[in-house]
Amino acid sequence: MSANASSSSKVESPAKIAEPHKDDDHPAALGVLEEDDEFEEFPVADWDDAQTDLAHLGGAAPGAAKSGGDKLWEDNWDDDDVEDDFSVQLRNELAKKDAMQH
Amino acid sequence: MQLNFANYLQHLANALVDKKGLELAYLLSPREEHGKTILKEFRNPTQQSLSYYKGSMESPWDEIAIQYVLVVNHIARNRPIDAFKEECSLVSLFYRYFTTDTGWTLPALFSILRDLRDLACDVALQNGQAGTEGMEEAARVIMKAFTSCVTDRCSPYAESRKWGVYYVVSQILKCYFRIRRISLAKNILRAIDANPDIPALSAYPRSHQVTYRYYIGMLGFLNEDYAKSEQELTLAFYNCHADARQNQERILTYLIPLRVLRGHLPSQDLLSRFPVLDDLYSPFLEAIKRGDIVSYDAALEHLEHRLVQLNVLLTVERARELCLRGLFRKVWAVSDKSTRIAIADFHMALRLSGMEVPMEEAECLVANMIYRGYMKGYISHEKQTVVLSGVNAFPRPADRLSPYSMI
Repeated sequence: MSANASSSSKVESPAKIAEPHKDDDHPAALGVLEEDDEFEEFPVADWDDAQTDLAHLGGAAPGAAKSGGDKLWEDNWDDDDVEDDFSVQLRNELAKKDAMQH
Repeated sequence: MQLNFANYLQHLANALVDKKGLELAYLLSPREEHGKTILKEFRNPTQQSLSYYKGSMESPWDEIAIQYVLVVNHIARNRPIDAFKEECSLVSLFYRYFTTDTGWTLPALFSILRDLRDLACDVALQNGQAGTEGMEEAARVIMKAFTSCVTDRCSPYAESRKWGVYYVVSQILKCYFRIRRISLAKNILRAIDANPDIPALSAYPRSHQVTYRYYIGMLGFLNEDYAKSEQELTLAFYNCHADARQNQERILTYLIPLRVLRGHLPSQDLLSRFPVLDDLYSPFLEAIKRGDIVSYDAALEHLEHRLVQLNVLLTVERARELCLRGLFRKVWAVSDKSTRIAIADFHMALRLSGMEVPMEEAECLVANMIYRGYMKGYISHEKQTVVLSGVNAFPRPADRLSPYSMI
């Protein structure tokens, strides 16, 4: 994935600025969740809304996201920030390309 | 409770007279204190040596009590296969009574079916392949309870055996999942659909609803019926008791990738409650938000084994298209949201992201994004230009109609 591997490319791959992963050597450390675990028996048979996450919905129906009143899910994450490293690099490369064409 | 066998029979009789379902469940549970104290009376109890007690109670309870002693004895002597067999007989004898009365014995039914499954699990732990047979047998035995619950036409509504339907079905599904024979589930689900007089699921206790919806959601997930799965798992999650964290975590393991595919990313509020899921999914979520294909692919590679184990690799791979959308949106953003962008510009963005693809493939990826509703516009192939809509060129992924239909 290194940009140097491609002879035609003068651009630096942002792979290098990507965040390093936590616990690179221990993916198994995620551990608690096991594929063979079963859905557990509930200790009680029934309960009220107040004891569930319905309480988070503020009256919205399950299935909505933040814009529909449910704070647990984001449905609007786009930002128009064009000053992050990648955007700056992209803009520079596009400008270079345009300059070469004109 | 310390009981000898005579006391035990007396307690059973009282529970029957008073119709105390929970008491009955307790008495039939093989791992309670009274099981141990009863055993002290019998050196090596067998069907034969206990036959003396036949007739000591109204049938089938005399035989049920005898089976109980046999089960407890095999468990104490660590003979899971024998314990399982005797519990199967106990359950069958119980059905003889169960089908003749109202649903007041449901708590006891649930309890002995749970014990039956637990014992089948013990068999599996000790026997490997033979254990699978035990679990299949358990499913067959439990199926009879289902039939008996569904066919109750006499009991008053509130006391109907029908109130056992969803609990029993969940136990059967648990068996099938355990031995990875989920295709067997079709028959029982068809049987539920064929019985319109089963009360609505929402009328059942929440523990029954949530467990049933979890398994239906999982079946949908594994059969790639994502719309159905997302709906069931969403309801399972929101109706789950908030203290049942393990169950919530299991539901979310599958619900999160499905919600992502329809444009709902779990918020930090949600993830911070489940650190395991935070570790598993955050690399992908961050990459989607940044349109960072490199990080997304690195996370796929890094977590592949884990994702395969949990059966979520396919959905997480599919969610990569949201990341690609983010990348293309960046191209549009740095181009001052122009309505005309050269395909070469998208190509450049892909290259910068470490995807060395030919120009034709870049064009194809853009076409795909438009087709799937992530971008609004069209491609002018002759001019090698993408003409984007002046309004809402990149709709929110959550606004796509039927997000799962084109997967």
